[in-house]
Amino acid sequence: MTRANIELGNVTPHNIKQLKQLNSVVFPVSYNDKFYKDVLEAGELAKLAYYNDIVVGAVCCRIDTSEKSRRLYIMTLGCLYPYRRLGIGTLMVQHVLKYVEQDANFDSIFLHVQVNNEGAIDFYKKFGFEVVETKEHYYKRIEPADAHVLQKTLRKNRQTNGTI
Amino acid sequence: MPSSNPLPPKENALFKRILKCYEHKQYKNGLKFAKQILSNPKFTEHGETLAMKGLTLNCLGRKEEAYEYVRRGLRNDLKSHVCWHVYGLLQRSDKKYDEAIKCYRNALKWEKDNIQILRDLSLLQIQMRDLEGYRDTRYQLLMLRPTQRASWIGYAMSFHLLEDYKNAISICETFLNQQQVNTPNNFDYEQSELLLYQNMVIRESGDLKEALKHLENNQNQIVDKLTLKETLGELHLNLKQYIKAAKCYEDLIVRNPENTNYFKKLIIAKQITKSEDIVKFYKEYSEKYPRAMPPKRQPLTYASGEQFKTLVDQYMRKAFSKGVPPLFVDLRSLYGDKSKVEIIEELCLGYVESLKVRGKYSESTNNGPKEPASALLWVYYYLAQHYDYLELTEKALSYEDAAIEHTPTLIELYVTKGRIHKHAGDPQEAYKWLDEAQQLDTADRYINSKCSKYMLRANRVKEAEDTCSKFTREGISPMDNLNEMQCMWFQTECALAYQRLGKYGEALKKCHEVDRHFSEIIEDQFDFHTYCLRKMTLRSYVGLLRLEDVLRGHPFYFKSAKCAIEVYLHLFDEPLKDERTEQELNTGKRYYFLYFVMVMAIKGN
Repeated sequence: MTRANIELGNVTPHNIKQLKQLNSVVFPVSYNDKFYKDVLEAGELAKLAYYNDIVVGAVCCRIDTSEKSRRLYIMTLGCLYPYRRLGIGTLMVQHVLKYVEQDANFDSIFLHVQVNNEGAIDFYKKFGFEVVETKEHYYKRIEPADAHVLQKTLRKNRQTNGTI
Repeated sequence: MPSSNPLPPKENALFKRILKCYEHKQYKNGLKFAKQILSNPKFTEHGETLAMKGLTLNCLGRKEEAYEYVRRGLRNDLKSHVCWHVYGLLQRSDKKYDEAIKCYRNALKWEKDNIQILRDLSLLQIQMRDLEGYRDTRYQLLMLRPTQRASWIGYAMSFHLLEDYKNAISICETFLNQQQVNTPNNFDYEQSELLLYQNMVIRESGDLKEALKHLENNQNQIVDKLTLKETLGELHLNLKQYIKAAKCYEDLIVRNPENTNYFKKLIIAKQITKSEDIVKFYKEYSEKYPRAMPPKRQPLTYASGEQFKTLVDQYMRKAFSKGVPPLFVDLRSLYGDKSKVEIIEELCLGYVESLKVRGKYSESTNNGPKEPASALLWVYYYLAQHYDYLELTEKALSYEDAAIEHTPTLIELYVTKGRIHKHAGDPQEAYKWLDEAQQLDTADRYINSKCSKYMLRANRVKEAEDTCSKFTREGISPMDNLNEMQCMWFQTECALAYQRLGKYGEALKKCHEVDRHFSEIIEDQFDFHTYCLRKMTLRSYVGLLRLEDVLRGHPFYFKSAKCAIEVYLHLFDEPLKDERTEQELNTGKRYYFLYFVMVMAIKGN
């Protein structure tokens, strides 16, 4: 077999419709216009994944500064069904890990995942994510509505770093 | 400068300054000097000054005054070559070439050896294809300037265009003999082009032996090695010198193994005629050039039965793994053979089953890694086009939908879905899918244009214009910009859409815009007459002249002319009643329908 070529590319106003198309088939949740507007401003935090020049996956993150910490939140990370288990998700996670490493000012990375999505949970565990919390009724229109919070800690909380 | 009314030294100096100002485009100053002469009561009616004033005014866009002054000047000095020359230039700028030629001829009556006038005349003659006149003028220019290269080339070319090859060749020969022969290391591109031009003339004369001899004798001086080799190959082949021809094409294949034509010529040179031998021939070359495409694609045309199956199987697998969107277009020419269609279909259906289950093309390939995840997608995509070609719309759409379900982000899928609907006769549904495709990548100009064309087919002119506007210049209406860019695929389709919509005035407007583009292209030729002789690009120049001669045979022209004729005839049979619509049509023209119909038809010939 000829080796497949996998690479990441930018989200631009020209190809944003491809991201919408992708998200609409990969995720049970639909995202609003604000989501896509922010994605266009997100720079390296939003990427399309290409498999042999076809868009097959995407990752979108934002920086979350609630709870007195600076955290990276993965809003979406997904890949079309026929292209799973080919290293595309890994490439996208690695991109995100590299981003936080270079920035060197994040406390952690976190995301939500439906409690029954074992595949995703195992996937993130490989990269050092842990379930730190379970939120009931997190999702409004899908079943099961509960979500795990998966988190990867990058440095100890600032409060323990502080004077007392 | 003999004139019936010569100026005294002071005024003469002023007149010379007018000429200089004209050459340097300082028109305002020119007018000032003209005024100084004309304000002298003795010279208020001085012909040449009046004429020059007119010419200068013309350059400032004051055409009516220009004609007035030039004509008045000429009336006052009918024996002045300056006045006639100026009148000629004025007519030429107005594109009245026939009139301009007459003026130049009159000017030459009074000054028969004026180089500038002769040059201007020769340009008009070649532009108007007055080849005999051109030859005579070029002869005079050669006599007056025998040391100039362009004089010789122009004269030789005039005979070539008149198909008097013997004279054309011997004039080239005489000229080349006068030239100093360069040392072979000294690259002289112009000398090389001249030799290749001379060779072209010899070949056109039909004397291939002489052409071959000429080319072989001069090979050292010809720097365009590719043309040299291709021409040698062609000549050997036509002279049935097969061994030498084969050598040429072997060399050319080493240079560029992607040129299908070289392989085809080599087969002729090797006198291979049986299909199976041709397949064997390509097999050898595909081993020699494993990355070259022609040795892989060509045998599919000649093989049949089991052998075809094996070959096309390999060919398609490779393409599906790699992801070659135009694979169907590549193989379509095989579809004339029903048995090949069946084999391809059978193979593809087999791939689908096997890829779905095992990620491989067949049950028998046990070992090795799986095929790329996109392989199945490309097979679906191929099958959709396959069934579309066979006019099995339902099946085509079902495979297209399977592909879209597999990978909804692949833009080509939506384009093809649109095309299937178009082929099935539903332009409305078709354009919707193209619009979908266009939105997925708004930076793709190809899909943008396709989408716009589909919109026109669906009679949605406004939408088409808006779609195009993503790529036209900002701040100007897309329609105007498309016209300015001579975007004729748009304009012809737009004319047809308006015709279908019964907006006859708009349709005719588009048709006439297209007609104007063709006039402009013919007009643009003018600059090449001097440029090409100077730059020695003679072969391309002759090519250009021949293209311009049949320019209106172009499909864009044909489509627009046909549309215009249909509209005019329709309007003649059923004149418009409604006054308002009539207004939109520029009513005046209605009575000239037949005139336009005739003009369109004649130009088309």
